[in-house]
Amino acid sequence: MQKNQRVILYILILIAGAAWIALSANTTDAVTNNTSAPQAGFAAPDFALKTSDGTEYTLSKLKGNAVLVNLWATWCPPCRAEMPAIEKMYQEYKDQGLVVLAVNMTYQDDLLAVVPFTKEFALTFPILLEETGDVASAYQLRSLPSSYFISRAGIIQEVVIGGPMSEALLRTRIEQILK
Amino acid sequence: MILLLLATWIGLSLAEKRTERHSVSKDNLNNITYYGLIAFVIGGRVSFVLQNMPAFIKSPLGIISINPDIFDPLGALAAAIIVAFIYGQRRGLLFWNTLDALTPYFAILAIGIELSHLAAGTAFGKETDAAWGINLWNATRHPTQIYEALASLLIFLLVWLQKHNPRPGILFLTYAALTAASQLFTQAFRGDSTLILNGLRQEQIIAWVILAVIFILFEYRLREKI
Repeated sequence: MQKNQRVILYILILIAGAAWIALSANTTDAVTNNTSAPQAGFAAPDFALKTSDGTEYTLSKLKGNAVLVNLWATWCPPCRAEMPAIEKMYQEYKDQGLVVLAVNMTYQDDLLAVVPFTKEFALTFPILLEETGDVASAYQLRSLPSSYFISRAGIIQEVVIGGPMSEALLRTRIEQILK
Repeated sequence: MILLLLATWIGLSLAEKRTERHSVSKDNLNNITYYGLIAFVIGGRVSFVLQNMPAFIKSPLGIISINPDIFDPLGALAAAIIVAFIYGQRRGLLFWNTLDALTPYFAILAIGIELSHLAAGTAFGKETDAAWGINLWNATRHPTQIYEALASLLIFLLVWLQKHNPRPGILFLTYAALTAASQLFTQAFRGDSTLILNGLRQEQIIAWVILAVIFILFEYRLREKI
């Protein structure tokens, strides 16, 4: 192919590419933050769960706060390993609007072990009891622990599957959702 | 991770079969890839730490924690490219010949990346009524991971079956152009695009610019005296 022919081909391809970019511009599609799903960029699936003393927490009512939803169980070693770091970050950032909801997978855990666990680690954030598996299903639970960093607008910014999360990782993720 | 490791192994094995064609030794090919991968892993961690220094100053042990999320993919890629380039310069490797030799590896790795996106549910498509839509993240969506994997497979086959290479670098540039063009096309179906300027997809614009640069490089390579 001669050089002139190649240049014409390049130009035609680039014009076609620009036209495709314009044609496929997203002006009407629903944006992901109107759909809820347990994935970064989506609205966090809503739930309402109670603590052992009957206090109810509803995720959607916490809009305006940065929320860390941590799914865990007492028998899960990485869950145990990261709780001190989560507590430390909670103490450090709660006055800036951080809320931590530690959702215990009670439907696959021992309810009688939850309170001693909470006392062992001196946890001060809400420990919610997931007794039916509905929240685990909504969050498509694959592994414990699973953590969801949710912005003040209720959008999941980051998902961390597995653990334990280090203090540094927690700090970077929490500071992102506090912005 | 397993898919990426498998793609690396298959890609390198295929690339080794064609090293002589590009005047690159198997040892150099394996070494440049090996050092590049090590730089990728370490560079990704270092880049993340540098971008979040205040957090790691308060918790320095976090630098060596086992969290795979402490990783910056772009920083990792930059580190891999820099280390591979330095290795190539030190060993006197011919730049364009080496890129041609690595092209099958890049092509297979791209397939591995798309399949790992499918496994993880990332790089997802926008909602659709198409019969071939997949149920993902509470909606029926374009299976963009499959589109991109198929495009990558087709590109690999085109590259692998190309017998004639006019001069060093053309094979790699052909691969890069086809990849940029496929990204420009398939990004239209993505549901996670970064939108700018009234709905234009940033990723498509980047692919278009890369394609334009590749066309310039094509002419540069074809004009250069051997």
